[in-house]
Amino acid sequence: MKPSMINLITQGEILRMKKQFGQPFGRLFLVWVLLMFFAVTAQAQGTITGRVVDDKGQPVPGAAVMLKGTTRGVSTNAEGFFTISAAQGATLVIRSIGYKTEELSAEKTISVILKAIATELNEVTVSYGKQRQREISGSIATLSTEKLQDQPVMQFAQQMEGKVAGVSVMESSGQPGRGVDFRIRGAASFYLNNQPLFVIDGLPITGSINNINPDEIETFTVLKDASATALYGSRAANGVILITTRHARAGDARVEFNSNYGVQHLPSNKVPKPMNASQFATFMNERYQDMKTYEGFTGAIPAEYQNPSQYGAGTNWYKLLTRNAPIQNYDITLQSATDHSSSTAIFGYQEQQGVLINTGTKLFSGRINKDLTSANGKLKAGFSIAPSYRLDHNNRLSTDGVGGLFERLFEASPLISPYNPDGSYVRNVYSSGMVAYINPLAIFNLTNDDYKTTRILANGYFNYEFLKGLQLKVNTGVDKGAESRNYYQSGQVTSTVNNPTGTSSSVDNGSYTAEAYLDYKRSFGDHNLEVLGGYSAQKFSSTSNTLTGLGFPNDDIPYLSAATSVTGSSGYTAYSLVSAIGRVNYNYKGKYLLQAALRNDGSSLFGALSRYGDFPSVSAGWIVSDEDFMRSVGKISFLKLRASYGVTGNNSFSGNYSAQSTTSNYYYDFNNVVTQGTTIGNLGNASLQWERNRQLDIGVDLSILKDRISLTYDYYHKNTDHLIMTRPMPTSSGFGSILDNVGAISLWGHEVTINTVNTTGKLRWTSSLNISFDRNKITALVSPGYIRRNNTVSSDYFRQQVGHPLGAFYGFVFQGLYKDADDLAKSAKYLATATNPNGVSDIGTIKVKDINGDGVIDDVNDRTFIGDPTPTFTGGFTNYLSYKNFDCSISTAFDVGGQILNAAKWAYQTNMDGSRVPLAAALNHWRSLSDPGNGVYPRTKTGTTAIGREVNSQWLESATYLSIKNITLGYNLNMKGNSMFRRLRAYASVQQLLVLTKYSGMNPEISLSGQDPTQGIKVDEEGYPIPRTLSIGLSATFK
Amino acid sequence: MKKLYILVLLGLTAASCKKSFTDLSPQSSYSDANYYKTTQQFGSAVTAAYAPLRDVVVNDYLMSEQRSDNAIYQSILSNRGTAYTDREALCEFMDASTNSYNASEWQYCYQVISRANIVISRLPSATAVNADSAKYYDGQCKFLRALMYFKLVRLYGGVPLFLKEVKTPEQAFLPRSTVDQVYTQIVADANDALKELPAPAGFPQTGAASKGAATVLLADVDVYLKKYADAVTLLNTLPAMGYTLNANYSDAFQPTNKNGRESLFEVQFLGGTGTGVTPNPLVYYFLPRSSSTALVTGIAINNQSTGGWNTPTKDLIGSYESGDKRLDASIGIVEGTYNASDYFTYSAVKSVVGYTAPPSGKVAVAYVKKYQHATPAVSGSSDDFPIYRYSEALLLLAEALNEQGQSPLAPLNAVRERAGLPDITATDQATLRAAILHERRIELAFEDKRWHDLVRSGNAVAVMNAFGATLQTQISYLPAGAYTVTDNRLLYPLPQAEVGLNTQLTQNPGY
Repeated sequence: MKPSMINLITQGEILRMKKQFGQPFGRLFLVWVLLMFFAVTAQAQGTITGRVVDDKGQPVPGAAVMLKGTTRGVSTNAEGFFTISAAQGATLVIRSIGYKTEELSAEKTISVILKAIATELNEVTVSYGKQRQREISGSIATLSTEKLQDQPVMQFAQQMEGKVAGVSVMESSGQPGRGVDFRIRGAASFYLNNQPLFVIDGLPITGSINNINPDEIETFTVLKDASATALYGSRAANGVILITTRHARAGDARVEFNSNYGVQHLPSNKVPKPMNASQFATFMNERYQDMKTYEGFTGAIPAEYQNPSQYGAGTNWYKLLTRNAPIQNYDITLQSATDHSSSTAIFGYQEQQGVLINTGTKLFSGRINKDLTSANGKLKAGFSIAPSYRLDHNNRLSTDGVGGLFERLFEASPLISPYNPDGSYVRNVYSSGMVAYINPLAIFNLTNDDYKTTRILANGYFNYEFLKGLQLKVNTGVDKGAESRNYYQSGQVTSTVNNPTGTSSSVDNGSYTAEAYLDYKRSFGDHNLEVLGGYSAQKFSSTSNTLTGLGFPNDDIPYLSAATSVTGSSGYTAYSLVSAIGRVNYNYKGKYLLQAALRNDGSSLFGALSRYGDFPSVSAGWIVSDEDFMRSVGKISFLKLRASYGVTGNNSFSGNYSAQSTTSNYYYDFNNVVTQGTTIGNLGNASLQWERNRQLDIGVDLSILKDRISLTYDYYHKNTDHLIMTRPMPTSSGFGSILDNVGAISLWGHEVTINTVNTTGKLRWTSSLNISFDRNKITALVSPGYIRRNNTVSSDYFRQQVGHPLGAFYGFVFQGLYKDADDLAKSAKYLATATNPNGVSDIGTIKVKDINGDGVIDDVNDRTFIGDPTPTFTGGFTNYLSYKNFDCSISTAFDVGGQILNAAKWAYQTNMDGSRVPLAAALNHWRSLSDPGNGVYPRTKTGTTAIGREVNSQWLESATYLSIKNITLGYNLNMKGNSMFRRLRAYASVQQLLVLTKYSGMNPEISLSGQDPTQGIKVDEEGYPIPRTLSIGLSATFK
Repeated sequence: MKKLYILVLLGLTAASCKKSFTDLSPQSSYSDANYYKTTQQFGSAVTAAYAPLRDVVVNDYLMSEQRSDNAIYQSILSNRGTAYTDREALCEFMDASTNSYNASEWQYCYQVISRANIVISRLPSATAVNADSAKYYDGQCKFLRALMYFKLVRLYGGVPLFLKEVKTPEQAFLPRSTVDQVYTQIVADANDALKELPAPAGFPQTGAASKGAATVLLADVDVYLKKYADAVTLLNTLPAMGYTLNANYSDAFQPTNKNGRESLFEVQFLGGTGTGVTPNPLVYYFLPRSSSTALVTGIAINNQSTGGWNTPTKDLIGSYESGDKRLDASIGIVEGTYNASDYFTYSAVKSVVGYTAPPSGKVAVAYVKKYQHATPAVSGSSDDFPIYRYSEALLLLAEALNEQGQSPLAPLNAVRERAGLPDITATDQATLRAAILHERRIELAFEDKRWHDLVRSGNAVAVMNAFGATLQTQISYLPAGAYTVTDNRLLYPLPQAEVGLNTQLTQNPGY
C-alpha cells in the first residue's frame, strides 16, 4: 500500500467531480444528492464515503469494497462511488477483476486508485477505437514491437514471422525490401488479393506496405474473426492488421537513437549444384556418344566436348552474380509529452544492398505524430504525417520464376568466360547444343532500373466529448504516393541484339479517407454500454504514364532524349467506397460480453445492381473466472469463453472497372495508314457481386498459476461463397476470361497460443508458442467443376477442383524409368500410336502411371491429383531471456506437413537435352542396360525427354521446415551516474540463421507468386533466396 | 453546440452518401455504356475487328501451309520447349489437342468473329449512325465473319456458331453446329457483304473489305460447296471492278504495290517503330534461325528464337516447271553452317533456279522469298499477307468451269502466261483438274492454301503419306511415327482448353 494511492479528498473535490460527471443527467444528480446525504450522515454514523478510479482517472464500477475480516461489503456504483459503514481506521479491501487488490485504512472520505493488471486490462487497438483486452469477444492478437526492434529487417512483415497464431508470414523471395506475404487463416479467395487490410493509426492504406519503416511501429493488432473485422466490412475477409505507431506518453521527454549494421550472405548449403565445366563437357560428350549408339548420329562430337578433362570448374555464374551485401539502419526518435500535448518525431534511414550484384534499396523515412488535449479534456485532436522516399536500384528486374535471373544462372555455360580478352562482356554464353542465352552478368551490369517512390501518409483526427460519454470523432487521412521509373538496357544484352531500350514512367496515386462517427459510452449500474455509429468514405485514384524509347545510337545517354523513337501512353483509374458503420458493445458486470456490428458498404467496383453489401457480425464472451464458483479454483486466474459469427467481404481485385466492359485500342493499318481501332477489350460482368465470407469462431482465453501460463485457443470455420475469380471462358466467345463469382470454399482450423513465464527473478525467461492447423476444401465451382492453372501442360502445376484443397498439385504419377525391354513392352507408353507403338518412350525414359488404363500415356487422360500444398500445421516458437544486463531472444517459425512442387529443379535444372546446364547429380543418368544410373535421371535420347518437364509426382517434396528467424543477444550498459545517457544498449543479431528442412530447393517458404493461391501455393520456380544477416546494433536514450 | 455537430455530421453524411461517389466510369478508355454511339466509333470498332487477322495469319502458316507438302521446319534439337515441339507436331501430324498454336488459331479466328458480332449486333439500335455507313460497316463485319468461319469449318469441321455479341459468361458456352449450318451462315454473311460493300473506288485500294473481296470469298465457298455455276457468275464480275493480274508475279508481294489491282483481300502490315505500327514478323519466321539474317534481310536480325519455320520442301521446288518465273520469285537458297545448337550462320544467298548442291562444308537451306523485301525494323516488315489475289480468282474460275465440263483454259493459261509458261491445251477434265490443282500449288505457294486444297481434292491422305515417306529418307530429324496421315487427321482437334471448359463440345474423332 503506497501512500500516494490514497488521498484525502475534500468536499470541494467531490463537488467538482459532481460537476464534471453528473450535471447533465438527472439520474446522476440524484446520485449526487444521495451521496451528499451519505457523506453528511457518514460523518455522524462512522460511514466512509469514497470513490474508486483507475490509474487513468476513470471510475471503476462494480468494485467490491469489503471490511477486512468480515463478509460485509458494498459495490461501487457506475461512477465509482461507494459508501460503507465502518469505523474510521478499519481496514478496507477494494477488489475488482483486472486490478490489483488494494487495502487501506478507512478515512471519512477516500479516493482509491486501482492499478490495472497489465494482461487483463490493457487497452488494445481494435477497429474504430480501443477496447480492454479482457472485454474483447472476438479473435484478436496483439504484438508489441518492443522486442522485435533489434531485427535487421527492412519490412515489418519480417518481424511478424512465426509470431501470431493463424497469421502466416512467408518470405517467398529475398528481393531487398520486397517479397513478404501475409495470409491470415489460410486466406479465403481464389483470385482476390489475399493480403489482409492494413490500417495505420485508423487509416486504411491503399498503397504498398514496403515503404513503412518498422521502427515507427509500436504495436500490431491482428483481427482474425468476423466480429473483430466486421467494421471493415467488404475489405475484411482476409483479416485486418491494425498498426499503431509510436505516440509519446505523458511525462516522456526523450531522445532515442538506434543504429544497426549487418552483412547479408547467402547460405551455401542449399544452392543448387549445377555441373561444372568438366562435368558438363563430360555429360555432353556422353550425350553425343549415346546419339551415335542409339540414334544413328554420324556427326562429330563438338570440339568443346571432345576432351572434358581439359576444363576445371569453369565459370561459376552463381558466384559471379552474388555477393555479401551490407544492410544498415539508423533511426532517431524524439518524444515529449505533457498532460495535454504529445509529440513524437521519428526519422530513419535504411539501406539494403542486394546479395545479387548491382541491386539494392534505400529508404528515407520520417514521421511526426502530434496529439493535443484541450484544457478541459473534452477536445482531443492530433495529426500525423509520415513522408518516405525509397530508391530501388535494379530491385524489380525479373529475378524470380521462369525466365528470371535465378533460372538463367543455371543456363549459362560453365565452359564460357563472361569476358572477352579485351575485358568487354561476351554476349552469348552458350556452348554447343545449348539454348542461346545471354550473359547474365552482363545483363545485370548493363541494365539500369531505378524506381523512386515518394509516399506520404498523413492523417488528422478530432474528438469532442459533447456530453459525458458521447463523443464525436472525425478522422481524415491521405495516403499519397508517387513513383517514377527510369530504365535503360544496353543493346549488348537486349534480347534483340543492338536494340537498346529505355523506359521512363511515372505513377501518381493517392487515396483519402474521411470518417465521422458518434461514440457513446455509458454504464448503468452493472450494465456497460458502448454504441458507435457513423459514416466513412474512401476514394483512390491513380494516373500513370509510360514512355518507351528505342533507337539509341549508343549507351552514352540512357535517357529518352537520346532515343530516336519514343512511344507512350497514359491512364487514369479510380475506385471509391462509401460506408455506414454501427456497433454495440454491451457487458454486464464486465463478465458477460456482447457485441454486434454492422457495416454497409457501397463500392464503385461492382455493378449498379450489386453495389451495396451488408456485413453484420455478433459475438459473445463470458469471463468465467469472474464467477463466484470459480474463485475457489485458485489456480485459474483468468478464463474467458467467446464465440462470434459474422459476414465479411472481399473486394480487393485488380481492375477498378470489372463490372463494366471497357474498350481497348487495336491498330490495323489500312494501306500503310496507321489506323486506330477501338472496341471492347475487357468483358465486364454487370452481375459481379461481393465475395462473401461467413465465419464462425469459438475461442478460449485461459491464464493459470498467477498468469505464469496463459493460453488462447480458437476454432474457426469460414465459408466463402461467390468467390471472385478470373473465370476462363471458351475463347470462341472472343474473350479469354471474365471476372465472375465462380464458387465456394470452406476453410477451418485450430489456433493455439501458449505464453509462459518460465522463470522470474534474476533470470527471467518467457516463451511463446503458437500453432495453427488450417484446412480448406473447395466446395463449389462453375462448370466444368475445376479451373486449371493454365493450358500448357508443362506448367499446369495445379488445379482448383471441387472436393480438393486450394492449389492441389496435378500431374502424372511417376513410376521410375522403364527398366528393360520387358518393362517397356508391358507398360503404357507416352503418345504411343498404332504405327508408332513405343510413342516417345524407350528403355531408360520416364515411366508414368496409365491412369485411364488405355495402354497409352497422354496429357489429357493420364494426369491426376498428385499432392497437396496444405501444411498439417504451422507456427512459431519464441523465447526471451534476461539476466542482469543481458537479454536474449530466439524466434523460430515452422511449417510441418504439406508438399512443395520443385518445378525449378525438374523442369529446368535436370533438362536432359543439354540445352541447359543440369545439376551435377544428373551425371548419374541412364546410359545403357548395364549402366542404368541411379534410376532417377532418364536417358538423353532425342525426343524422349519432354515428359520429364511435365509435372509428375517426382517433383513433390516435403515442405516441412523449421527456420530460426532471429537470435538477438543484447546488453544494457550500466548508466547509473552517466550524465549523457539514460539507457544504452548494444546487441548482436542473426536473421534467418538456419533453415532446417529436407527440401532440396533454396527456400521452403517459396511460392510461385507470393501466397496468391490462384498463382499456386508452394510452387518453386526458383526465387531470390533469403540471405542470412549478421548484424550489430546500438540503441541509446539520452538524458 | 448540439446543432453544430449534427450539422457537421449531416454535412459529412450528405457528401459521402452522394450516389455519384460510387458511380465511377473509366476515363482513359470507354465503357460499353458510353461507346458504340457515333459513326466514327463504329468505324473504329470495325477497324478493331480487322486487327486479329494479323494474328490469324501469324499462326495459320502452321495449320494450312507447313502441314502440307509445301513446307517443313528446320531442326532444333537443342531446344525441346513447347514453342518448338508444338509447331513441329503440327507439321508431323503428331499434334495433340493441347497444341498451343492450334489453340491460338482458333482463338484469333473467333476474336475477329467476336468483334464483328459486336458491330453487327449493335448497329441496328445505333440511331446516330448514318445509313450508308451502317451498311458499309455491316458489310465489312459480315465479310470478316464469313472469312473466319470459312477458315474454321475447313480446319475443324462444325464449330460453335457465335452470331451475337457475348455479354455474359453464360452466353459464351455454345455447342458445335453442323458443317452445313456453318456453311449456310457463311453463304448468308458473304451474300450480305456482297450486297453492302462497294467495289474499289480506285487502286491502290484502301485495304478494307470490298465487293471484290466478298465476291471471291463467296465464289471460293461455292466451289467448296460445288455450286460451280454460282461461282462462275460471281468471278466473272471481277474484271469490271478493275481487278487484273500484275505484269510480274512478284509484284503482288511488293510492299510498294500493296492493295493493287491484283489484290482482292490482304492482311495489312506496317513496319516501323512508331505508335500503332503493325510489323509483319513472318518474314523472319521463314528464315533459318540465326544470330544475324543480314545477308537476306539487309539488316541484322536475330531470329534464333523465332525462325526456322515454313521451309520450302524439295518436293515443292521440284514441282515447278522449267522456266517458271515464280520459282525464283517465291523461293531462295541460303548457304551456311549449322552449329551444334542448331543455329545457322549465313554465308551466301543463292538463286534456287538451277541450284544443285552447296559447296563442301556448307548446308543449303531454302527459304520463302516472296515476302522478303526491305525491312524497316527489327520487329518486322511492311509486307502484307495475301488472302485472295486475282490469280486465285482466275484459278477458281478455271476450276468451276472445268467441273461443269466447260473449258478452263482461258483463265488457267492467263495465270501460266504471266509465269512465263506455255499454255496448257489438254481438254480432259481429270487432267485439267490435276493441272489446276498443281497450278494452285505453285501460284499460291506459302499463301496458306495448300493444306485446304489437298483436303478438298481428297488427295491429302495419299499425298501426305507418300510425301512423309520420302521425307523420312531425306532428313534425319523426323521422329518415329511422323507423317502418319489418316482420315481423322484431315480435321484438327478442337483445342483441349475449349473442350475441357465447355462440356457441350465433342472432340473430333481420333483425338
